[in-house]
Amino acid sequence: MNRHLRWLPFVSLVLAPACGGDAPAADGPSVALLTSGPVSDAGWHAGAYEGLQLIGDSLGLHISHQQTRTPAEFDEAFISYAEAGYGLIFGHGFEYQDAASRAGEAYPDVTFAVSSGSRPSENVVPIIFGLHEASYLAGMAAGAITRSGIVGMVGGVEIPSAKGTFIAFEAGVKAMREDATVLETFIGSWDDASAAKEAAAAQLRQGADALIHNVDAASFAFFQAVREVREDGRTAWAFGMNRDQNDVAPDVIAGSAAIDIPKIFLQTARAWQDGTLEGPLFTGLAAGAVDFVPNPAQRGVIPPLALRQIEEARLLIAERKLEVPRIDFLEPAAGNPSGS
Amino acid sequence: MPDFAVLSSFLVAAVGLAVPLALAALGETVSERAGVINIGLEGSVIWGALGGALGSLAFGPYMGLLSGALAGAAAALLFAVFAVWLNTDQIITGTAVTIGSLGFTGAVFQSRFGTTGVALDLETVPLRELPLLSRIPVIGPALFDQALTAYLAYAMVPLLAWFLFRTRWGLALRAAGESPEAAHAAGVPVVRTRMLAVVFAGLMAGLAGAHLSLVHTGTFVENMSAGKGFIAIAVVVLGRWRPGGVLAAALFFGGAEALQFALQAFDADLPYPLFLALPYVLSLAALAGWFGRSRAPEGLALPWPKRGPQS
Repeated sequence: MNRHLRWLPFVSLVLAPACGGDAPAADGPSVALLTSGPVSDAGWHAGAYEGLQLIGDSLGLHISHQQTRTPAEFDEAFISYAEAGYGLIFGHGFEYQDAASRAGEAYPDVTFAVSSGSRPSENVVPIIFGLHEASYLAGMAAGAITRSGIVGMVGGVEIPSAKGTFIAFEAGVKAMREDATVLETFIGSWDDASAAKEAAAAQLRQGADALIHNVDAASFAFFQAVREVREDGRTAWAFGMNRDQNDVAPDVIAGSAAIDIPKIFLQTARAWQDGTLEGPLFTGLAAGAVDFVPNPAQRGVIPPLALRQIEEARLLIAERKLEVPRIDFLEPAAGNPSGS
Repeated sequence: MPDFAVLSSFLVAAVGLAVPLALAALGETVSERAGVINIGLEGSVIWGALGGALGSLAFGPYMGLLSGALAGAAAALLFAVFAVWLNTDQIITGTAVTIGSLGFTGAVFQSRFGTTGVALDLETVPLRELPLLSRIPVIGPALFDQALTAYLAYAMVPLLAWFLFRTRWGLALRAAGESPEAAHAAGVPVVRTRMLAVVFAGLMAGLAGAHLSLVHTGTFVENMSAGKGFIAIAVVVLGRWRPGGVLAAALFFGGAEALQFALQAFDADLPYPLFLALPYVLSLAALAGWFGRSRAPEGLALPWPKRGPQS
């Protein structure tokens, strides 16, 4: 035997903490969460993690979380949680749909909830947050506060759920200021901070002075870009997305298009416990699941008149009298290939 | 002149994205010249970003750069102990160091700042305009209105070229990479040389990471290395293992990344991922020898001493 092989255990010791490995054994009814990025993003993934904690605290269920990066890991993690006895497994993002559908067929007794998912089945439940409705209101605020008439959007990967929030945001901007220019950049990653910084800086250099993002951890660098341009004496505002991010960068954020992910996750887990969970699950402004939250630390940035108009639009959307442009990424039915 | 503004904005972005690649790739050039391919470079970059952020919070941005470089060197030392001293497989060990580093830096960040994260607002290293040079039209402001890290990258090019090709130590280092047997026979301490080269590469990669957190973004984000350590390895290939070529290749990769933002910003209906792929295609072409004679060091990634059946 090669004498160097005796060092292998140490190499695997280095590897082990990063690799997730097998799911911990379930203890009674158990709920698991998969995120495709770090939960330290104070945004999309953090909201899901808070939701999982809330499920553990309020329902007294055993909970577990794993970060998975690649589609192969998605399958692996779904299977290992299902094998370990977890009854409800959240895949937090559009990217989990395919793996969840496969796992759903293999484990009919396990329920898979897919945030922004697209294909419901007996035990696979897409959760449609309706964030576009809040994003539309954020767009109205951006349209009201921009002086240059140029508004920017920095996105991660161009997936339907992310693209949909931008289409709605742009419509909101145009509702307030018809002649506005809306810039859009996708950086191809959710946590590449320097790419997000550079994309935001490029839009700011083009004159944009109100910017929204739809990235995850990279949003920290996006907010820094707005801070930096202010040091040059310019006025610019950022908008938070996915979670109420007003306290993440309170000095530069005018408001957030936020999802109350913990609330929806808790409702989902309750329905699952009661055996009433059926997909797809639609939420939105009317259900109080999403909202545009002006930053309380920056009162007055959004003019009172605009706030009233936003309030009117909020009511109209909730009453289904105002249709916000959206991307319908839900496929009609399993087995029917004609999507919308 | 809007076109002029667009061009200079593009160049500023290109250089900003190229500097961390250049720093990491110049270090890796030395490591590969000594015969060690360090896939763990990505791990050094993320440790550098976190070490830089923590160092800056405690002692200010310049000490942050130093602590980032040292954190990167520490990750590389771990790699060197296994891959050089204990002679484990370089590729497997490097992969382990990278994956382990991404996990551990995330754990450190979350235990220090909370699981759901905090957007750090770090004091950044100030930009220092170089007199005269920064007045050069178009390229001046992009290249010579930068932070210390960029000037370090520029200065490293002649320094490393002189060291590698004009000094006895450089000759010994290249010998360890080309033919470790011959170098050993000639009295070159191959293992020690390789370990030092790897640690130097880690130092530079750590500096690249600290550049990301302390110069470019002013914050720390888990996984913010975003593959830059791996791209740096491709940059070394395209730069054909020569410091000057490596700097040019880094600028080219940075330019390709900046181009996607410029193209999207102007609604150009071009598939921007194609432009992102371009430098990699050229790296392959460089490997295939389409740009004149160029080859990797003969002993690259090979174990030393050779693993025998009963060794």
